[in-house]
Amino acid sequence: MELLDNLTLGFSVAFTFQNLTYCLLGCVLGTLIGVLPGIGPVATIAMLLPITFHLPPTASLIMLAGIYYGAAYGGSTTSILVNLPGESSSVVTCLDGYQMARNGRAGAALSISAVGSFFAGTVGTIIIVMFAEPLTRMAQKFGPADYCSLMALGLVAAVILASGSVVKAIAMIFLGLLFGLVGTDVNTGAQRFTFDLPELSDGIDFAPIAMGLFGIAEIVVNLEKHLTRTGGTIKVTSLWPTMDEVRRAIPAALRGTFLGAALGVLPGGGPTLGAFSAYTLEKKISRDPSKFGKGAVEGVAAPEAANNAAAQTSFIPMLTLGIPSNAVMALMVGAMIIQGIQPGPEVMTKKPDLFWGMIASMWIGNAMLVIINLPMIGIWVKLLTVPYRFLAPAILLFCCIGAYSLQNSTFHVMQVAAFGVLGYIFVRLGCEGAPFLLGLVLGPQMEEYFRRAMLLSRGDPMVFLERPISLGLLITTTLLLILMAIPSFKKARKEAFVEEEG
Amino acid sequence: MNRFLSKDFLSGLMFIGFGLIALYFGQKLALGTTVRMGPGYVPRMLSLTLCGLGLVVCIVALVSGSDPVERPKWKPITLVTIGIVCFGLLFERAGLIPALIVLVTIASLAGEEFKLVEVIGNIIALSVLCTLVFKVGLSMNIYVVRGVW
Repeated sequence: MELLDNLTLGFSVAFTFQNLTYCLLGCVLGTLIGVLPGIGPVATIAMLLPITFHLPPTASLIMLAGIYYGAAYGGSTTSILVNLPGESSSVVTCLDGYQMARNGRAGAALSISAVGSFFAGTVGTIIIVMFAEPLTRMAQKFGPADYCSLMALGLVAAVILASGSVVKAIAMIFLGLLFGLVGTDVNTGAQRFTFDLPELSDGIDFAPIAMGLFGIAEIVVNLEKHLTRTGGTIKVTSLWPTMDEVRRAIPAALRGTFLGAALGVLPGGGPTLGAFSAYTLEKKISRDPSKFGKGAVEGVAAPEAANNAAAQTSFIPMLTLGIPSNAVMALMVGAMIIQGIQPGPEVMTKKPDLFWGMIASMWIGNAMLVIINLPMIGIWVKLLTVPYRFLAPAILLFCCIGAYSLQNSTFHVMQVAAFGVLGYIFVRLGCEGAPFLLGLVLGPQMEEYFRRAMLLSRGDPMVFLERPISLGLLITTTLLLILMAIPSFKKARKEAFVEEEG
Repeated sequence: MNRFLSKDFLSGLMFIGFGLIALYFGQKLALGTTVRMGPGYVPRMLSLTLCGLGLVVCIVALVSGSDPVERPKWKPITLVTIGIVCFGLLFERAGLIPALIVLVTIASLAGEEFKLVEVIGNIIALSVLCTLVFKVGLSMNIYVVRGVW
């Protein structure tokens, strides 16, 4: 029973006082930013990256993971109570959740979403445990050429699920890859694009880029939008759902869990995609689709379960292969690199305590979240009344101090300012930041594998087609690219995103 | 509406711009051979591809049109950037509190409402919080206030 041993190890790591504290801290922070519109998990994790530098690796990853899935819980609270999705993954919950609240079923909606999320989180964790070992073992057979192709597939697949123009998203990947090359060339020691700045010889630090692109740019855009809060919070009476609600919610939550879990593993997938697909599925298979949008329990249970299951399973490609599937996972990879851990299949074999500890902590964190969210709901709703003009300067300040603390250098603070401007330009031009970040994270490794593969094959690029694993991955990548060019698929993709934004 | 001021056309120009910058500054890096690649091989490959993609984005934008760029509001982005730069300049020379006061004041000016009392309250609360978290809690090596002048 190797699996049981691993889990025992995981729980023994996760149940230490220190790790429990950081898990709780992450969950509370996650709930907090989930409740507050205008700041999401990507920006928060980006801002906290420098602080994690001062923490032990396991604790920091546990905390960052907590923020990610905690945000999914917190976002649903505001969706249901005030019709304001705190997170993009809970946008669909607004549709039926708020209607349920208006029908006087706010408490039932909240408890169904929390318990459904907990169930989905548990299943998600179990799926990670089941898939982690076989996937890692598979990944260990990969040669440099295979890895290179795998990264290409990961990057291309992530583009499909980004909204907007595909060519632009691919160009953003290349831009990210290019930024990833700044610094000293590993093979020859040559300085590349460092402009004789000693600070750049180790490459552009990941944290200031992420903070600038996501944190600063997000704040500026929110300041422009005059973010206003609407009042009219609904009172929560009883948290108990009726028997009929439970009977209808259970199958929906089950379907949501499995759909979400499956979509979470895909590159580019994650909570938002999971929630939308689950809602669409429920609407399609329902005997009475007209009740959706008027307070259907299924419309709350399914997407809430799906976004949480997806939040969990999106860790699988990152933990086992070292390939991040979305912006948050790219940040987690960044956090590992800051700690000196190279993400990939070696993490499980060389750092089993970190690997299994983190997985176990996710389950504990999910349990904590139910407690944080249900009885303390009033506190979170109160937070909504804090105006953005207090938050924005505070967030900026934490960004600056965090950036400075990375290496006690003002240079990093200036980098944050520069990448803030760049991030703002990206937003204005409708260029997605996520593909850029994925390219940036994978760039150095991809170059490394590419050069090694070419060296091993004596300069013959056919090596990418001769190895069966690599060939299969490249064929999949090409198929995806062809799929994107097909008009009907293009149209469906566009429609999916229109619905998402509406 | 000027069709050259569309989101996609300008993005394309941006990609070409970055590609050209990388080509220019990467020209001294040795290319090497396909077997033993020099430090310049991959950057050259990437920047050329980026230029190509940028060109495609531009052409597609001109042929099939794209959304016009919204007129940017200069106040928030300018003030926020100035605020961060000032913070960077002051932090080591004058310490946390002066840098914080300048940043929070400038950042508050970027918003739609500016109430002096609120900003002062915010500054006091954040000063206490940051000192406690970063100096006392994380015991970071920073100055709270430092006289230089």
